[in-house]
Amino acid sequence: MKLTVNGEAYEAKRAESVTALLEEMGFGGRAVVVVLNDEVIPASTRSTCVLREGDCVDLFRLVGGG
Amino acid sequence: MKRQGKLKDEWIVGGHRFSSRLLMGTGKFQDAETMVEAVLASGTQIVTVALRRVGRIPQEDDMLGPLRRLEGITLMPNTSGARNASEAIRAARLGRELSGSPFVKVEIHPNPHHLMPDPIETFEAARILAAEGFVVMPYMPADPVLAKRLEDVGCASLMPLGSAIGSGRGLATTEMLRLILRDARIPVIVDAGLRSPSEAAAALEMGCAAVLVNSAVAASGDPIAMAAAFAQAVEAGRNANLAGLMPRGGGTALATSPLTAFLSVEGQ
Repeated sequence: MKLTVNGEAYEAKRAESVTALLEEMGFGGRAVVVVLNDEVIPASTRSTCVLREGDCVDLFRLVGGG
Repeated sequence: MKRQGKLKDEWIVGGHRFSSRLLMGTGKFQDAETMVEAVLASGTQIVTVALRRVGRIPQEDDMLGPLRRLEGITLMPNTSGARNASEAIRAARLGRELSGSPFVKVEIHPNPHHLMPDPIETFEAARILAAEGFVVMPYMPADPVLAKRLEDVGCASLMPLGSAIGSGRGLATTEMLRLILRDARIPVIVDAGLRSPSEAAAALEMGCAAVLVNSAVAASGDPIAMAAAFAQAVEAGRNANLAGLMPRGGGTALATSPLTAFLSVEGQ
C-alpha cells in the first residue's frame, strides 16, 4: 500500500492498522504520536485504525529542548 | 525573632504546586546520562522538552526515556519550531498526547537570527490553548503590556526573556521585568539568556517566581555541578526576596561601626 510517511513516499507491506505500520517501521513500543491526514490518532485507537491507499502519516516524538 | 519558614514556600502555576524555583531545559546536553544527572542535581520539578518528526530509521538516542522514570518531574513540551500560532497549537496538542502533561511552553520565534518571540502569534496561540484547558506558559518579550494581555486570556504564568535564547547575555531586561512584576498576578519566570547563577539569584531577589535555564547548564564546563549551583542560587535569591533587601542609600555612606574615636569609651 502506497502511503506518505513524514512527507516521503512509503510502500507499506503491513497496513492493516496503525499499530502494524509502526511495527513494520521499527517504531513498535516507542513513544511516538501518530498524525493521520492531519488528525492525531490517540494511542488507544491505533490497533483499530485502518490505513487506506494514499494516506499521509506523520510520526513525532519528544526530544531534548529548552 | 521569628524566621521565615521555608517548608511551605511553594509556588502555584495552573493549580499545580511546586517547591523548586528552577525549571530546566533538556537540550544541548552531550548525552542523556549527563542530562538526567543535571536534572537531578538541579532539584527541578519542571523540565522542558521539544517535539520533532521522527526520521525514517528509528534512532536509539532516546534522551527522554530516562527522564520519564524519574519521580516528581513534570514534562513541559515546548512549541519550538512553530512559526505561527496555528503551528504552535498543533505542536501543543501533539506534545500533550506524547507527554500526558497539560503544561505547554508556547514558543514562537520565526527569525532564526535573533529568536525573538513573536508577540502577536504568541498571544493568539496562548489565548486558544488556555481556552482548551492547557496550562499555558508563554515565552514572551519582556513587555508589561503584552504581559497583562496574556494574563487576561488565561495564561498560567509569564515567561519573559532575560536576553536572547542561548546568548548568555544575562538580565538585559531588568527594568521591563520590574514593570511586569509590579502588576502580574500570576508567576513570572525569567526564561532565556541567563548565563550565571548570580543572574538567577538576581531574578528571584527581584520577585520572579522562578527561572528557566538550559544552555547555562548544558554548555557549562561541568553541567551537573552547574545545575547544583543554579539550585543554590535560586534558593538564595528567593530567601533574600522573602527577607527584604535593605533600603538603597542616597550616595553617601552610612557607617556600620561606631564612628566615635577608637580610644573613646563605649556609650560616652
